[in-house]
Amino acid sequence: MRGFVTVAALAAASLGAFAQVPAGYPADYAKIVAGAKAEGKVVIYSALDTKAAAPLVKDFNAVYPDVKVEYNDMNSTELYNRFIAEVASGQGGADVMWSSAMDLQVKLVDDGQAMTYASPEVVKLPKWAVYKNQAYGTTYEPAVFIYNKRLVTGAEIPQDHASFAKVIESNTAKFKGKVTTYDIEKSGVGFMFVVQDTKYFPGMKDLERGFGATSYKVYSSTGNMLEKVSSGEHLLGYNVLGSYALVRAKKDPNLGVVLPKDFTLVLSRVMFIGKKAQHPNAAKLWTDYVLSQRGQKMIGGEVELFAVRDDVEAEYTASKLNKQLGGVVKPIPVGAEITEYLDSKKRLEFLGQWKATLAAGGGK
Amino acid sequence: MSAVPSALGGGGPRGASSFFTWRALTILTTAVAVLGPLSLIVYQSLLTAPFFDARKTAGFGAYAFVFADEDFWKALRNSVVIAGGMTLIAVPLGAILAFVMERTDLPFKRWFEPLILVPSFVSPMVLSFGFVVAAGPVGFYTVWSQDLFGVAPWGLYSILAMTVIAGLTHVPNVYVYASAALKSLGSDVEEAARSAGASPFRVAMSVSLPLILPSMLFAAVLVFFLGFELFGLPLVLGDPEGILVLSTYLYKLTNKLGTPSYHLMAAVAVCIVAITFPLVLLQRKLLQGARKYATIKGKAGRMRELPLGKWTGLALFIIVAYLFVTVIVPISGIALRAFVTNWGFGVNLSEAFTLDSFRYVFQETTHTRAIWNTILIGTVGGALTVACYTAIGFATHRRDDGWSRLVDYLVLVPRAIPGLLAGLAFLWIFLFVPFLAPIRATIFSMWIAYTVVWLAYGMRLISSSLMQVAPELEEAARSVGASRATVSRKITLPLIRPGLIASWLLVFMIFEREYSTGVYLLAPGNEVIGAQLVSLWQGGAIDIVAALSLINILLVGAGLAVALRLGVKLRD
Repeated sequence: MRGFVTVAALAAASLGAFAQVPAGYPADYAKIVAGAKAEGKVVIYSALDTKAAAPLVKDFNAVYPDVKVEYNDMNSTELYNRFIAEVASGQGGADVMWSSAMDLQVKLVDDGQAMTYASPEVVKLPKWAVYKNQAYGTTYEPAVFIYNKRLVTGAEIPQDHASFAKVIESNTAKFKGKVTTYDIEKSGVGFMFVVQDTKYFPGMKDLERGFGATSYKVYSSTGNMLEKVSSGEHLLGYNVLGSYALVRAKKDPNLGVVLPKDFTLVLSRVMFIGKKAQHPNAAKLWTDYVLSQRGQKMIGGEVELFAVRDDVEAEYTASKLNKQLGGVVKPIPVGAEITEYLDSKKRLEFLGQWKATLAAGGGK
Repeated sequence: MSAVPSALGGGGPRGASSFFTWRALTILTTAVAVLGPLSLIVYQSLLTAPFFDARKTAGFGAYAFVFADEDFWKALRNSVVIAGGMTLIAVPLGAILAFVMERTDLPFKRWFEPLILVPSFVSPMVLSFGFVVAAGPVGFYTVWSQDLFGVAPWGLYSILAMTVIAGLTHVPNVYVYASAALKSLGSDVEEAARSAGASPFRVAMSVSLPLILPSMLFAAVLVFFLGFELFGLPLVLGDPEGILVLSTYLYKLTNKLGTPSYHLMAAVAVCIVAITFPLVLLQRKLLQGARKYATIKGKAGRMRELPLGKWTGLALFIIVAYLFVTVIVPISGIALRAFVTNWGFGVNLSEAFTLDSFRYVFQETTHTRAIWNTILIGTVGGALTVACYTAIGFATHRRDDGWSRLVDYLVLVPRAIPGLLAGLAFLWIFLFVPFLAPIRATIFSMWIAYTVVWLAYGMRLISSSLMQVAPELEEAARSVGASRATVSRKITLPLIRPGLIASWLLVFMIFEREYSTGVYLLAPGNEVIGAQLVSLWQGGAIDIVAALSLINILLVGAGLAVALRLGVKLRD
């Protein structure tokens, strides 16, 4: 008798939830939906701030009103530190990790911290954005140059990496102390960008010397660079996260944005589900939602990042960016190769060379 | 800390034995709260990976790395230069201000004193940020100066500028000690010098200040020591230039290797403690010396104010210039920045006016929670903290045994650990001590960390209150058969009540101001404005930083207003 009641209750629950299985998903997805409903919430650790992610969370709740989203934003290093500490202490923290520090995310996957989950949406993603069916690239955010529109005009606006180097080198007096980029010792994203730059841009050393010659200023975050270039304290910003820059530039008449013409690096925020996630079903729902066409439309629209999927119509999408720039877009792959410089010896060597080149340019 | 209720309500029938149990418990709790984080830091510094990582091994590798890193030596050198430089600025200026305020007939004195102390109650993070938006390369004042005079002959981003700002903002630390010492000095010697024709300046230089030399020496060591703890200022002004000091070097190590290098950070922390702890001990010695010295003061006769005469103008100028640079410039900068969308050359500020930052702050739960938590930790938390400190105070009050001396030294320990690291150690403790885990994401975790970090400061407040109670009163009660607990509860506690309320207000302001302790502890649920500011600054949300900074200043201002209203002496 008791067994029957349980079965009936389960059937009723899955029937009620069945209506929510997205089109094209396997029928047994209803189990995940029911499980998520029972779990009641999903805990997300993300490097994207709460304000920016709010539309996404709201839309997710429109689809799954029974799953409460506990969204926590922190910077990408903190995200990593907190996650490993919580796992080690056995205090469950994050169900879903979502971070722009692609290398750290991939490292966590390689360290066995991620759950294997082949999202039904995998087939719709570019190959480079899927890693071991554990980690997924969710966005398509270009690294851009920024400049102060009132104080930098005409030929002084760099259009590609080589002209960036030339502009600051040919006018070090004007640009002394006015060029900014990430502090690569502090910002994992900034570090990752310059490692990629050295791959695609043979003149990188000239640029570094130019940074040295103009005593460039470094910050650990995009917001600081945008603020200081907008106010005119700095004039040019290098390798700034384009998703944030373009959003601010829309409202801020002082800020100009350039997508480099020779090559444009693209970062993709990596998402995975924690191996010991306490709300695994809810985490799966969230991940699938973000990768789905509906979620991607939000990301390319109100969230104002760039949708990674090709089949999405929105203001900011990978396909639009690719069309605009032709073949020069270089997405950083979600793969083992990007963790190369997490080896502390290699990293310190790279940092040492970077500093030496700056010094050769006459910098600090 | 659980011992507090019994401290206030215990005693009576249970008598002496329960008092001793209670005393032992209080001392034990203090020892655990102080030594726990410190030993964790030392232990972590002797490993090769985070202590919770299975791959860790023991060794001195962390120290080897740090000592081989040229950035460490640069940071150390900068710290020494800045700490020394700011001492050279703060001590003379603080002493002169104290002299003018205490001994002369300067007009408007009543208004100046709270203002002079303002920099010590505003978070250095907030002040530094204020300097950037007010006097940075495109700051409001810089732009105005450029428009009016064609030049703005100052720069913010250099070791010199940091030293000057640090020096100016630490003037209150010198001021409070110098003016306390001057108060206890008879005015007869000064009058003698004055009637022999010495100028007020000459009186200060040749008579008054030499007499309070021990206090000034103490203040000098204190400021020098605080120089090693600077964090907000070099983070905001030095980081973009690559100018590191020890604390920002430590902060940078969070990410330098790509993954957390807690062992390196811990090693740096141990190095910092190796510098600061001797300084703390030196302060203690000097303070005792200064008190001894104070007994040879002149007759405590009626104080007579020295007439400044034609020097009035100069004295007023010094004070107003000091207040303008240290208080008005940064705070007005923040207030302006909080209400505009963008700023800089060629920006019309009236067109850029907006209330969006505040609207956003009050919409976002993490920020409203930060505001509530900050109020809560100052008011309720402050009261609880004072209760804890009082319990510790009673545990050592009028007892000159080994345990009391142990506590004396124990409370000094947290003083030497930079707040940033103490916060990290507490994070580890809350993560890995099972029964503490549930409170990690609550404001309670912040409160515990704050209470331990400010132990030395708070204990000085409490013990100075306790020392004012004449022993006869307690002895009288004892002689008619009251137990120790009863004496504490019925005699001592009521007598020190005004002192406790004053301590509460000071602790309130210190807790509103605190920022570095929470940097690593910050988690959803326990946000406080101070730590939130560091995180938002790193994230570049400048509008929000400005709005929250202004709210923080208002909170501190409210505390200050209440304190002034109640006539609390704003000094420890």
